[in-house]
Amino acid sequence: MNISLQWLRDYVDWDGSVDELVELLTRTGIKVERVETSGVNIPKVVIGQILESTQHPNADRLSVCRVDDGSGTPRQIVCGAKNYKVGDKVPVALPGAVLPGDFKIKTGKLRGVESEGMLCSGKELGISVDAEGLLILSPDAKVGDAVSTLFPSGTMIELEITPNRGDWLGHIGVAREVAAFTGKTLRTPETIQITTHEDDSFLRNDLEECSFYSARVIRDVKVGPSPAWLKERLESIGLRSINNIVDITNFVMMETGHPLHAFDLAKVDGGIVVRMAKEGEKLLALDGQEYSLKATHLVIADKTTPLAIAGVMGGEKSGVTQATQSILLESAVFSTTSIRKTSRDLVLHSDSSHRFERGTTAEGALKASARATQLILEIAGGKADESVCISGSKEAAMNVISFRYNRCRDLLGISLANDQIDELLGRLGIQRLSGDVDASQWVVPVYRLDLHREVDLIEEVARLHGIESLVGRVISYPATPTAGDHAYDFAMRLRQKLTALGYYEARTSTLVSAEAVRHTAEQGLLRLRNPLGEDQSYLRPSILPELLAVLARNIRYGARTIRLFEIGRVFHSGGEAEETSRLALALTGDVTDVTWRNEAKRTFDLFDLKGVIENLVRGKIAFREKEFPGLVLGLEIFSGNKSLGCVAQLPPAKAKEIDARGPVVIAELDFAALQAMDDQKLRTREIPKFPAVSRDIACVMKVETSYATLRNALQEAREPLLVDVQLFDVFRDASGNKLSANQKSLALSLTFRSIERTLTSEEINATCDRLKDLLKKSLGVEFRE
Amino acid sequence: MEDQIQALQTEALAAIETAADAPSLEGVRVKYLGKTGSISLLSDGMRNVSKEDRPRIGKALNELRNSVTQALQDKTSAMEGAREAASLSEVDTSLPGTSSSLGSIHPLTLLQERAVKIFRRLGFAIADGPDIETEWHNFDALNTPPDHPARNDQDTFYLPDGRLLRAHTSTIQIRTMESQPPPIRVIAPGAAYRRDEVDATHLAQFNQMEGLVVGEGIALTDLKGTLEFFFRELFGNDAQLRFRPHFFPFTEPSFEIDIRAEAMGGEWMELAGCGMVDPAVFEAINKRRGDNAYDPEKITGFAFGFGLDRLAMNLCSIPDVRMLTENDLRFLKQF
Repeated sequence: MNISLQWLRDYVDWDGSVDELVELLTRTGIKVERVETSGVNIPKVVIGQILESTQHPNADRLSVCRVDDGSGTPRQIVCGAKNYKVGDKVPVALPGAVLPGDFKIKTGKLRGVESEGMLCSGKELGISVDAEGLLILSPDAKVGDAVSTLFPSGTMIELEITPNRGDWLGHIGVAREVAAFTGKTLRTPETIQITTHEDDSFLRNDLEECSFYSARVIRDVKVGPSPAWLKERLESIGLRSINNIVDITNFVMMETGHPLHAFDLAKVDGGIVVRMAKEGEKLLALDGQEYSLKATHLVIADKTTPLAIAGVMGGEKSGVTQATQSILLESAVFSTTSIRKTSRDLVLHSDSSHRFERGTTAEGALKASARATQLILEIAGGKADESVCISGSKEAAMNVISFRYNRCRDLLGISLANDQIDELLGRLGIQRLSGDVDASQWVVPVYRLDLHREVDLIEEVARLHGIESLVGRVISYPATPTAGDHAYDFAMRLRQKLTALGYYEARTSTLVSAEAVRHTAEQGLLRLRNPLGEDQSYLRPSILPELLAVLARNIRYGARTIRLFEIGRVFHSGGEAEETSRLALALTGDVTDVTWRNEAKRTFDLFDLKGVIENLVRGKIAFREKEFPGLVLGLEIFSGNKSLGCVAQLPPAKAKEIDARGPVVIAELDFAALQAMDDQKLRTREIPKFPAVSRDIACVMKVETSYATLRNALQEAREPLLVDVQLFDVFRDASGNKLSANQKSLALSLTFRSIERTLTSEEINATCDRLKDLLKKSLGVEFRE
Repeated sequence: MEDQIQALQTEALAAIETAADAPSLEGVRVKYLGKTGSISLLSDGMRNVSKEDRPRIGKALNELRNSVTQALQDKTSAMEGAREAASLSEVDTSLPGTSSSLGSIHPLTLLQERAVKIFRRLGFAIADGPDIETEWHNFDALNTPPDHPARNDQDTFYLPDGRLLRAHTSTIQIRTMESQPPPIRVIAPGAAYRRDEVDATHLAQFNQMEGLVVGEGIALTDLKGTLEFFFRELFGNDAQLRFRPHFFPFTEPSFEIDIRAEAMGGEWMELAGCGMVDPAVFEAINKRRGDNAYDPEKITGFAFGFGLDRLAMNLCSIPDVRMLTENDLRFLKQF
């Protein structure tokens, strides 16, 4: 909502600066979004007249003017503009003036010629963007007067009003708060007493959606332009002047916060009917749009057709025009829910609907009606009907709240005395009805629709007293770690390990496209009912598609080595666990950075990521081949019989599509399963006392025999002295000279050790021979020397 | 003979001394100690030495051989040392280091970790809750009116079954109180979702940190003290806090916190919302629990929440919030 500082001052005798107001409003809970000043409010800028203009002796582009500033002594001013003629009236900044941008005007020499001030452009005064030449003033302007008399200054302040404070949506409401916080006096305009009557034939309303309706007829008005003061007021908060009647209804709304509407009485057929719209009923509104209404929308109708979308916008047909002679002034209370729903359905938000949505009162409606009537009679003439036709109760039940002083002090942690608290509440117009030292009863003003409970009053005490003076208290006590703590800590440990391994943490969106979920069966997916767009319509069942998108993006950005991980949630429908966390990894590019060492270049492949996983997971895991849709070289990772996740490679064609330098490898593991394996116990094994001895063997075997088969065979031999097997070479011979095409050679380093003694060569050779025999017999392995 | 030995020693040691490089030193060795070298030849002459002279001459000969051998060794290692020194002096130590690469933790996680550490020092535990929530947890229990605009399809993401993606991490307050009695002292970092069009300052999915303290005798002064402590730890002791009265359905009194600190360019920034838990929230919890564990007459508490993305943008001078989800390595490598 916009307010004007000058307008605000009509209702409170407070004369602080804009900055002070901003600070004050901030303390009350009204947030200031923006301050905009208009006009000129600069001392020492006066209206001057150019008496003479001559060429500057030392500068072609400058002239020297003699200017009458009203002081009686013409002053000499050097000027660069060309758009004036002698006799023009222009703004003159006298020495000592400070123009916007902290530009101080002084007497001084310009290219050797004395200049006693400056002739100004509109831009220099901050009132226009046009910097071309001087601002030529009206010939009627009075020389010597301040320029601010021609351009009165205004300050518009844009406020953010919280939805609970509909009473702040008018200047009086804001002024009331300023008065309460500063102790200044509030001045509200006097309004005439109103007499009311009910007449079912003229005004029919029996709906809950409209708890109060008042219709005042004013005849023989003269519709025309608004007087200058009224126009200026509306323009000062960014509203457009339309005609005097409409302007008055808007003015009163911005003054009191209560919306009004004026109908052309001649267009109202037989009287007002407040009713729900008929399904599909059409109405051309004042914004020029035709709205198709639903049965849930409240309308103000006459006996035949709808005239207005109640509380939201009037109809074009019944609006006030130059031809209007008599008007029907509506001031009503509509249900907040109904207005909100209508406004939302029709995507039509107005100053009026904004206020009705936040709550209005019958008292406020009648006051606004009286105020508007008074202004209409003053400005547009005419004659108002003696009595206002109303429907519904014009008085609300008294709102009384019990208040315990100790409760207030305990909740706020303050030590205010009872009478201090009483004084604070009193300043807000909340009246003490009765009470004793422990508790009191308070009557809430009708416009405070947000106050119902004791805690609401306690909040008012806190607000008015201010929280600045409270001394903060910090208590800490031991916390027992929760499941959340354990998961958080494990996630941080994973992150630390992964970053040490060179991986970068990514954080991607959990909302993904249909394309990203194409490998998951539809029944397992969770789709949003109202996504922002198709590309964010599913809750991700896997982190990988987005992480791959990040990887592809980084390739495009020129990254040569990409190691990424993300720890985040994934979503599955129908399963036991709808939301689980996962660790995803993606890897591609050069293993080593470019350095000056000329090291051999290599790109990452499946085994690099396999190694990372082996390092990351504490405890025994196994990899088993499995096909995953859209991937190759898939391995499922197991701990015992429990699946932890997968590691696989993108098909080479896909990797090529994103211009990867080599294989693109990915993995995804279940976070909870990893956490379950994360043994936090600290313990050590004894460091062997006796030396280990190694023997290398080169096993020649069929290409299709896997390393795992070889390794398992060695393990199953259960040789107690064999403590480690390291694979250090895989060799195939394309030429067929050393090995035939269907053979490969795996070179192993076998490590032997006893915990009891130093081994002898004989023992080791014997063990080694036994193992070789075994491999030969069971797998047909031959040995290369 | 002894004179010969003496002369040979002087000659050999001088030759060793003057040898300029390894080959000439080798020449010296062969000349004196080789099979047909002078010292070997002299040793052959022992045969002609009389029996009584033999021990003395033999000893002198041995000393000769030892001293020459020693001198040769010394000279060899001196030469090697000089060679190594020369080769080291040619190393260009200004060549760049070849580090093993380290990755990095995402700035949002880093910031979250800083926040968590501070609250843990005060004895806060970490609470958690699902991203997919019921309308009750996200709105009803948090005292949000049935026709509140935030419930609109335009503002909140819904699933076809009527559940929603939590619009704030305040749902975790509800989850926590539902499952355990007071006292409570938790923080809850997590994702939240709003149907905002994505731009430089908005993401449809963003990151918050929620806090809740509930117990007997918890007052507004505790809220103030805790958050002052937290933000000063985070931003430095020069941080100024401004508690601006505000409105949230689930707290009363409610405040927004503006902070001004050098670490964020010295301008007031709106960074957090907070307040005393509204009694209506406790009542909703009691109803759900079927007990009176959160009797609003005995139990009070405070809650707070702030956006991590916003905080990261301010602290790290990130001009566009989308940089946090783009995961450009050139950005991530800066942390």
